[in-house]
Amino acid sequence: MIREPPPFFHRGPSPLARLTFFTIAAVALMIADHRFRALETVRLSLSVLAHPIEELAALPSQAVGRVTDYFASQERLLRENQELKVKVLEQSAAAQEARLLRAEQAHLLAMGPGKSRYAEGGLLAEVLYSARNPFTRKVVVDKGLKDNVAPGMPVIDGSGVVGQVTNVGTFTSEVTLVTEKDQSVPVMLVRNGLRAIAVGSGKDGSIDVPFMPVSADIQNGDTFVTSGIDGTYPPGLLVAQVTSVEKNAAYVFAKIVAKPAAGVENHRYVMVLPIPQAGAAPPEARAQDTKPGKARPGTRRRDATR
Amino acid sequence: MRPADLTPIARDVMKLPASVGLVFFSLAGAFLLQVLPWSGTWLLSRPDFVLIVLIFWVVHEPRSIGQGVAFALGLFVDVTDSMLLGQHALAYVIATFGAQILRLRILSFHLPEQTLHVMGLTIVASAVTLTLNLLLGADFPGFAYLVSPVLTAMCWAPVNWVLYSRALRRRREGTS
Repeated sequence: MIREPPPFFHRGPSPLARLTFFTIAAVALMIADHRFRALETVRLSLSVLAHPIEELAALPSQAVGRVTDYFASQERLLRENQELKVKVLEQSAAAQEARLLRAEQAHLLAMGPGKSRYAEGGLLAEVLYSARNPFTRKVVVDKGLKDNVAPGMPVIDGSGVVGQVTNVGTFTSEVTLVTEKDQSVPVMLVRNGLRAIAVGSGKDGSIDVPFMPVSADIQNGDTFVTSGIDGTYPPGLLVAQVTSVEKNAAYVFAKIVAKPAAGVENHRYVMVLPIPQAGAAPPEARAQDTKPGKARPGTRRRDATR
Repeated sequence: MRPADLTPIARDVMKLPASVGLVFFSLAGAFLLQVLPWSGTWLLSRPDFVLIVLIFWVVHEPRSIGQGVAFALGLFVDVTDSMLLGQHALAYVIATFGAQILRLRILSFHLPEQTLHVMGLTIVASAVTLTLNLLLGADFPGFAYLVSPVLTAMCWAPVNWVLYSRALRRRREGTS
């Protein structure tokens, strides 16, 4: 049109040339991010720039939450209080026992080399929103680098494992839920100590336990806890309860589906646990750890579709 | 003899260039809508507000808004949506290229026909993101995802009304 200059005026590279350039740049970025995880600083600085707008966008829903909290009915609060009291009573016995066990463990550890496998302390975090990525199952919590959150930290709620921190920003971090596809947690069957790996199915409220032989002793209703052998999750955290076991002699493996113990999709506060200090591992295990490409089961492929 | 109706093109030719502030704040506003706490089906069918405002400016301000801006915006969306870095950048750059090619054609139509053209671009952009994620091993997120590009294109008319509104235009004329 009139405002377009004639083609002999200099206008820079043609749209097609630009398209080629930017396409190559985008593909290079994707490869660098996916294969080499080389762009954490870029991601971090961009997220700091975007943070004010994100804060602003979160305001309305936060305000609604505050107002709802304020006008919570007394009846509901009383009921909740009652429930919590019962829960405290139920758990106090277990807590006292745990204290005793811990003291015993400290005593034993003092005699030889080695450190506690259990997580010491934790960080309470509020779930801000679920990540706006329709292809993955993640939530964003309000603790980040400034609170010393690190990638790989396990995240739990009152009833079990919620997931694992996979990406840390300055003020917030992303938690990949245990139901995320290919998110794996090394687990142990409480009833008989059978070890397995729980793998997220990518569907709401279901976890698969693949590669268990048909002859494996697993029943409906069995509970899985973390086994702790990965060195990432402390042992003994509730992960899932078996909801269906399908044993078909035609297949090598049984088809086991479990339900996550934690309210994976609906919690407001979660606890970010530190990664337990690695104890004195046996020599061969230590040699394996240093091999390149031998990632811990809990952290491997944790962000395949980020 | 009655003169031919050249309204859409004529309007584009005669208008003054948009101020930098208007471009910036419209993109920031689109970004704000994009990062509202969407979840579930809402997230799947969320219109891509940044993309539609970007296409608007590519069509109406081709000299200042092009593929470089599209690339940068795409990176921002990737970071805030916690996606692989570069996905939206690629999708936005391809859509921008389409908009640059179709620009004069789009401007020669009225809003309903323009919306159809823009829908083609938004579908291509969504298809790029979907294909990349499927290649990376994700599951198909659900059919609500296919609604998103259509809703994005539906925003074309409102975006035109807002960014072409008298108030904004008068201010634009006043500042330029």
